[in-house]
Amino acid sequence: MDEVMTNYLKGLFETKLNKAMRLYLDTCARCGLCVDACHVYASMPETKYTPVGRAEVIRKLFRRYFKLQGKFAPWLGETIPLSDIGFDQAYEAAFSCTGCRRCVGFCPFGIDTQQVMGIAKLLLIGVERQPQILAMLSDMSVAKGETYLDSAESYVEALKNLEPQVEALAPTPEGRAAIPVGAAGADILYVGLSGAHSIVPAAAIMNAARENWTLSYFEAVNFGAWLGDAKKQAKISSRIVEEAERLGVKEVVVVECGTATRVLKFQAGRHSFKVLSIIELIDRYLAEGRIKLKAGTIPGRLTYHDPCQLARNSGVIEEPRRVIKALGADFVELTPTREDNWCCGGGGGLISLGEQEFRMKSSKVKADQVKAAKAGTICTACENCHTQLTELNEHYGLGMEVASLTNLVAHALTGFAEKN
Amino acid sequence: MAGIYYFIMVPMVYISIAVLIVGIAVKAASILAAPAPAYSLKTYPARKRPGLAALADTFGMGMIRRRNPVFWFFLVWFHLGMIFLLLGHLDLFPAIHLVPAASRHMVGAGAVGVSVTVPAFYFLFRRFKGQNRHISVPADYLLLLLLLFTFLLGDMMSWGNSWTAHGFVMTKAAFRSYFGILSGFTFIDPRTVLHGSHYHFVVLHVFLAELFLMILPFSKIVHTFFSLPLNLLRRR
Repeated sequence: MDEVMTNYLKGLFETKLNKAMRLYLDTCARCGLCVDACHVYASMPETKYTPVGRAEVIRKLFRRYFKLQGKFAPWLGETIPLSDIGFDQAYEAAFSCTGCRRCVGFCPFGIDTQQVMGIAKLLLIGVERQPQILAMLSDMSVAKGETYLDSAESYVEALKNLEPQVEALAPTPEGRAAIPVGAAGADILYVGLSGAHSIVPAAAIMNAARENWTLSYFEAVNFGAWLGDAKKQAKISSRIVEEAERLGVKEVVVVECGTATRVLKFQAGRHSFKVLSIIELIDRYLAEGRIKLKAGTIPGRLTYHDPCQLARNSGVIEEPRRVIKALGADFVELTPTREDNWCCGGGGGLISLGEQEFRMKSSKVKADQVKAAKAGTICTACENCHTQLTELNEHYGLGMEVASLTNLVAHALTGFAEKN
Repeated sequence: MAGIYYFIMVPMVYISIAVLIVGIAVKAASILAAPAPAYSLKTYPARKRPGLAALADTFGMGMIRRRNPVFWFFLVWFHLGMIFLLLGHLDLFPAIHLVPAASRHMVGAGAVGVSVTVPAFYFLFRRFKGQNRHISVPADYLLLLLLLFTFLLGDMMSWGNSWTAHGFVMTKAAFRSYFGILSGFTFIDPRTVLHGSHYHFVVLHVFLAELFLMILPFSKIVHTFFSLPLNLLRRR
């Protein structure tokens, strides 16, 4: 690697050295407490799959290029150069980490491995070794922000075809469309994913609550966040932020997608509206008596998987439990649960990358945890988790139903006569 | 050799403290000058009083107690020992009397040294086992060995003075005189107040302690200063 490239990469590295990162890189005591936090290590016990093992790849570069130790005694900290070997390690570190941040709760200093892996991802972009699938998906999302009006008409047409499915779950309030799109003056902008399953149940619930809502032209998912490209992440988010501000909505409600919720809630800058997940909205409707649910629609025992980005990283922990209580299900918690729950193993873009063999192997501990709950159905509130749990269910023969919590709610809606 | 001993016992004490203070100040300044994170890095459930939660994380280390109680026990033992160790050294300054001035005992009567030495052995041995061995780098072992030898030499002095009447040639009063030289900036040769053949061990103890102080700002021991700000990051 020539000096120009080395300096370029050092420059990229430096852009990540904010207050938090300087503390994260300098302070780790290598006490090893984080080791047991990672589902990958718990399933495949190799040092490179420990949070500290991953972060050390970046720390060794940091010590090499930004510390006196790297100049005078590189052997002390086993520093590594910005060479190809370093990048192979960086790739494996960055894309074996789902960014679940479970290790933050284990570390006595709260060191955030996901943040440290952000450097690895940025360096990979710098040498054009980023995962091409994520790069392509990010570019497509960015491009859609620029050209969505070209396909708006066909999108509205496609949505019309979904209206009977929405009507089957809950009647549409008079004078309103079953799936309104781009409606100025709406109180809520709902951001779904590509696929009817992310739109129909939420539409039914909001219609049942007689909500003044509208659907976004864009998908909530942010591939830029998984890619580790802050610029693309910001561009993808800004499509939704600009749409929400143009329509003048009070709230943006995000589909069952943990990363999208966290990105829009906390990482998309200041905006004029509030961001909440669909689960928080359902919980509010139940508290306000705006929707009613039939009890006993879920046969057998039900358990709930807390999506990392929604629970531990966005604080949506009690809301899904109150919703499940309203469903009257025979509910059992996973062990561990809530903020300590094991990651499903599908986050950080791993689902989009494919990586099925790795995802199945690295999530054995998750499969064991789910199996131990002895539930007939496991529900969750994140598309990625849902996909991963479905694949784990098949791979490990867990014999469970995997459900979306929003979908369970939509199919339990009742009591429309009094309202409509 | 006498010149080297003098340098270690007097000027280098000031140098090491200066390196520690300047090193930490520069490090703190570089952190403060860096841009703030673009968004909150906190984890949930949110605490009503994030500042108090961060203090509890830093000093109570509840996350370690829940997951590895043995490690937590040694960590608490060690860190409490370090506080008493600091107090024990402060007690040697002529103007400070944490134990009666007439007492020949140092703070803790030798127990303070043990309270840091035993956990230091534990910290070192655990680095030879399992994943801890794989995640450790040479600096981790060297730092622990540096601490361990500093402590062991300190134990010789505190035990010798506190647990036996005639075990160590130099008395607490002699060390108090040495600390008087340092705090008074008189630059008198400590050999005039620290008599006997054990002087070599005292010099070695001081030398290792100086190395530790000078290394501290550039090593992971900076967690002494940055643990609380780090815990604040995840709480608010």
